Amino acid sequence: MTRKKILGSHVKRLLSGVSMHGRRHLTEVETDLVQTELLLEEAIDKLTASFMAVHSAVGARQEAIDRLLDGGTPTPEDRELLASMSGEVGLHVNTAITSMQFQDMTAQLIERTLRRVSGLRDFLGTLSEHGAEIAPETDSEEIVERLGKVSMALAIQSLELRSMLRRSVNQKHLESGDVELF
Amino acid sequence: MAKTILAVDDSSSLRQMVAFSLKAAGYNVVEAVDGQDGLDKAKQQTVDLVLTDQNMPKMDGLQLIKTLRTLPGYAKTPILMLTTESSDEMKNKGRAAGANGWLVKPFDPQRLIEVVKKVIG
Repeated sequence: MTRKKILGSHVKRLLSGVSMHGRRHLTEVETDLVQTELLLEEAIDKLTASFMAVHSAVGARQEAIDRLLDGGTPTPEDRELLASMSGEVGLHVNTAITSMQFQDMTAQLIERTLRRVSGLRDFLGTLSEHGAEIAPETDSEEIVERLGKVSMALAIQSLELRSMLRRSVNQKHLESGDVELF
Repeated sequence: MAKTILAVDDSSSLRQMVAFSLKAAGYNVVEAVDGQDGLDKAKQQTVDLVLTDQNMPKMDGLQLIKTLRTLPGYAKTPILMLTTESSDEMKNKGRAAGANGWLVKPFDPQRLIEVVKKVIG
């Protein structure tokens, strides 16, 4: 292979490697951000519904409560409504508690995205450092050697980044998770 | 006398919700912010159940469980994982480490209470 072709082959390998690793990481960033958005949207919808339901439950009892406060005698319907209030509000509070756990999940997704973005910045920094060491007068053999080293360094960095970023949040909905006793 | 649960999670909002749910059911709850804090608190006082997250700084859930199991008084204490992790691989690691159960987040408070009651009464 001629010197030109060897150089060309290394440049191609480097550009292809940068593109592949970069795209892979950015696809994951996109996936995590979409998942975060889904969880946030669902959390807001469910929390809004829960708060409205609690408001409604209390509102439905207000006449009965007012009657008691005025010293009146509660009707059978009043008794039934007031007796069931705790249970009904409790159900809505439980739903809200399940929904509020979006914060834990989205925090993990955001942290993962930040670490990946930081890793990508380091990745580009490596390119820059190696590039800075190539003087205009550097001969092509040395350039080939450097390009080989850069490609290797980037591949290792990309692997390390991927191994650091296990997917630990797969939830796309805020339904309560499985329970298993061993 | 009310039973005591050690709730270990690096998310303060999650700890609040676990504590709120379990206290409403009559349990005492001690909170820990990570595995190391959980270990320190488990050494300071006897608890009836440990409920721990997996992914935490300083010491993760699996390491906490393995270490607790070596402590006198914790060989048989029920330990449940409460985590976003749901893979069979992680559950098997949890079982091997000494966990007695695996709850996937988000938890439903009523279901959490039912599981805790089943495990420690």
